Amino acid sequence: MNKALSVFLRGIVIENPLAIIMIGLCSSIAVTTSVANGIGMTAGMVFVLLCSELIISLFRKVIPGNIRMPIFIVVIAAFTTMVDIIMKAYFPDLSKAMGVFIPLIVVNCIIMGRVEAFASREKPVYAVLDSIGMGIGYAWVLIGMSLVRELLGNGTILGFQIMPAGYQPVLFFILPPGGFLVFSLFIALNIALRKLWLRHEASRKGGA
Amino acid sequence: MNKAMLKLGLVLALFAGVACVGLAFVYSLTEERIAAHAQKDLDNALKEIFPDYDDSELVTEELSSADGQIKIDAAYAMKKGGNLVGLAVRAKGPSYGGEAILLSGFSADKRVVRVVVLDLKDTPGLGANAADPAYYVDKPKKITFPGQFAGKSLDDAFEVKGDVVAITASTITSGSLTAIVKASGAAASAYFAKGGRK
Repeated sequence: MNKALSVFLRGIVIENPLAIIMIGLCSSIAVTTSVANGIGMTAGMVFVLLCSELIISLFRKVIPGNIRMPIFIVVIAAFTTMVDIIMKAYFPDLSKAMGVFIPLIVVNCIIMGRVEAFASREKPVYAVLDSIGMGIGYAWVLIGMSLVRELLGNGTILGFQIMPAGYQPVLFFILPPGGFLVFSLFIALNIALRKLWLRHEASRKGGA
Repeated sequence: MNKAMLKLGLVLALFAGVACVGLAFVYSLTEERIAAHAQKDLDNALKEIFPDYDDSELVTEELSSADGQIKIDAAYAMKKGGNLVGLAVRAKGPSYGGEAILLSGFSADKRVVRVVVLDLKDTPGLGANAADPAYYVDKPKKITFPGQFAGKSLDDAFEVKGDVVAITASTITSGSLTAIVKASGAAASAYFAKGGRK
């Protein structure tokens, strides 16, 4: 498999940032109480990840090694603040719902982790592919979790009533313990998918 | 050694400078829209509390909060046909997820007219329910958390789990918001006691 494709695909299952690398978990469990929040958080996070990886990768040769962390933080914080301001101006309702989580993107370990482990060493084209792959991996777990939690914990999806009127919402799923439970189920699902994926890859290699 | 440090400092300053310019640019592009949204929110909230007011006057200086943690941002004497119909108080105070801003309306007979949540950073599904128009503390009567203050006398105790119903699993948020309403109410009471400025 060529490098570009493998860099892109890796983040989706094999190295899923949430379920396998297990970084950026606090905000994930906190925001997944409703699907709208999950989508908003994903959009903000992917935008910041993409921009930060691209910029860091472009400037990787002029960033001195011993002050790379503060520089990463400056870049990430600048993009996060931009997302915050733009959301306030153009999507005021979403911005109100996301509240405290947008500023938290700054300290989301996924961005710091990918910038440090990947973008600061690779060419911009791979950094962009990496951020998109990781973004998809983040999105499906995060939005999946919020679907399960909103449906079971509130009986709705995106605010629309899905469960029959007699359904008593299980508040447990909205509360943090429910978040941990749903997250662990997604880890299990992702591990199963990963096994299938790796077996498939091995059998293809063996056959060739 | 010193030269190397200087170079590092300059590189860092350069990155920070560029980030600064970028932020200033985005901010200046969006500043007006954000201010317009905030103004619209305030106008809507004032209309929601006093639907038939035709004039308002800023009387912030005449009110003060007795609670050190709660700050009165702005107060509007709401008028209709030149008569004082009530007082709208915008106050902020600490809550579970950061600062909360409420706009509370009080009528001249010392009752709460309505409370509107202007800004609340809190956990979705829990504390954020305070600002959710579809979350009811009293389901059969469809009364929301801020809705329950309507009609309350300013002489009431304003105690969560006493005369104020808390949001499920969000006692801290409930308590903070109640404290803001209470402090706003006390300030309004004092204003009315002085007779207001007609």
